[in-house]
Amino acid sequence: MATTTAAVTLTSDLLSDAMSVSASTTCMKAGTTADGLDQMEYGYVDLPTGDEYDLVASTPTASKGSKLYLKNHSTDETYYVAVTQNAQAIGRLYGGDWMFIPADFHDAAADIAITANGGTNKICYALFHEGTVLVTT
Amino acid sequence: MATTATISISSDVAPGFGGISETMTLTQAGTITDIDSTTGFQIRKLTATGAVDLVTMANELVEPKDSTANSAGKIYIRNIGYRGVTDKSVGVTIGVNAEPIGKLYGGDWMMMPLTCIDADDVTVNPDTNDTVVIEYVMFYEEA
Repeated sequence: MATTTAAVTLTSDLLSDAMSVSASTTCMKAGTTADGLDQMEYGYVDLPTGDEYDLVASTPTASKGSKLYLKNHSTDETYYVAVTQNAQAIGRLYGGDWMFIPADFHDAAADIAITANGGTNKICYALFHEGTVLVTT
Repeated sequence: MATTATISISSDVAPGFGGISETMTLTQAGTITDIDSTTGFQIRKLTATGAVDLVTMANELVEPKDSTANSAGKIYIRNIGYRGVTDKSVGVTIGVNAEPIGKLYGGDWMMMPLTCIDADDVTVNPDTNDTVVIEYVMFYEEA
């Protein structure tokens, strides 16, 4: 079985006592404990300003599992990438920020799209998924 | 004062993939000033299907600054199952403003940015009527 493990450690001193949370999960195919996600895409790209780009162009795979990691590697803290899914704004990743979500490609419009602001942003992403078949030319 | 989040991903899916290990410090939008507000660490028990708000932006005691005024909110969410038992076969769909973002199966976690706009509430919708508990913490800027 292919094995992908994602762990997070979150710490904060905003409260009167320090908060620390750690979690780890093995990324499985949808609805199963028997088989892990077995496909992935990994990239590092420049994202120029001016247009919205599909980071992941959705193919309808609502019944499939997927995990998307995305980090803005820009070193200028004023630069940010606006992230949308199916045209719904999710939020902004400023320089140095990352996100990790179970992307739901429930229909053909459910693209993950990103728009650079401030200047050309450098983006690293990894999509762990299942069930993708290449499109014939 | 700082809030940090570190992610570590290991995988044997693709030969040669060296993994990912990255840390971010949660800051206010466009600055290196630390983020200053949080909901604190909370849990929400769900016992029936149907989308409900996990975070209702307009109801936060400390009003979140939204992205129209530049903000850098983040939320961590995890499906922790119920009474120590997590089930990878059923999930809870996480949404923003009714748009499904993705499904967290038992034990799964996510971290994502938020607009904190009033309409962009964070919703949760379980697959089944079985009891499941969601833990979460949101970090944001005060309006």
